[in-house]
Amino acid sequence: MSNNRVSRRQFLNYTLTGVGGFMAAGMLLPMVRFAIDPVLQTKAEGDFVQTSQKVADLTEEPVRVDFSYEQVDAWYKSEVTDTAWVYKQGDQVIALSPVCKHLGCTVNWAGDSAHPDQFFCACHGGRYEKTGKNIPGTPPTGPLDEYEVAEQDGLVMLGKKIANTLV
Amino acid sequence: MFFNVNDVQQFQQQKDFIDTALVPLLSLDFKEAKIKQSSSAAEFLMSLTAFIEQQFKGRLMLVPPFSYTEQTRNGVSVELLKKEMEDAGFKHVFFITCDHYWTSFQEQLDVIWLPSIPLESMDTGVKQSILQNQLNQVIPTFTSKWFQV
Repeated sequence: MSNNRVSRRQFLNYTLTGVGGFMAAGMLLPMVRFAIDPVLQTKAEGDFVQTSQKVADLTEEPVRVDFSYEQVDAWYKSEVTDTAWVYKQGDQVIALSPVCKHLGCTVNWAGDSAHPDQFFCACHGGRYEKTGKNIPGTPPTGPLDEYEVAEQDGLVMLGKKIANTLV
Repeated sequence: MFFNVNDVQQFQQQKDFIDTALVPLLSLDFKEAKIKQSSSAAEFLMSLTAFIEQQFKGRLMLVPPFSYTEQTRNGVSVELLKKEMEDAGFKHVFFITCDHYWTSFQEQLDVIWLPSIPLESMDTGVKQSILQNQLNQVIPTFTSKWFQV
């Protein structure tokens, strides 16, 4: 015991190294954490927005699905509500944007009683087939846009608007 | 279409298609007893007209509301307004309001009068379905006028 005595110089050395080590670690660790943060970040699921529509309730008949998300416009935050026409084709879920390709009105499924199996735009009589393909001879010049679709907990999730992939 | 630069430019190029103007007539009342009700009606009318605009974006231009109080109401001459807009290329001019006063103009003008519904206490889902209902009621007014010609 007595030959293991710690001298005053040694004691001071140990304590200073110890305290200095903690201080260095306290400064370096946050820096390291900041540097690798992008890697650790959990990706939010794309930009998918959950709707209240159950996948199991979908049929081949398009239904109107409203969904809302928060939009930030500079300092102004607002809740935006958007709509999609959603139906099932085989096992695939299809979501079409209701925005007419002519001048941007909202189209309705079976909006014209003469054409019950088409999308109809009340503004200038534009018509689209169920796939979103525009019917020649009516004002629209292109097919309806499509939404990316995903499924979570049995609910339909809608993503970005993409060009129509069905026609 | 809204009354902003982008949409107005599009209107100038597409006058054949964008041929309808929608003018909200908005009554303001600053009296202590009425101010709350007046703001509620304004909120309703603004929400509804924005919704109508979304539905008929390609055919209809929503003009900023003409606001007046009871004292200044006589200063709003709707006939002149309609005339000026028709000269600018709008074939149809609709007025939409929650103020009962304008129903007396229904003979000469297309006035859509709606009772205001207090939306402020409702949550988004209910609000949405109420507006959808109101929209469904005004759609025939537009389409019947459009297909008349």
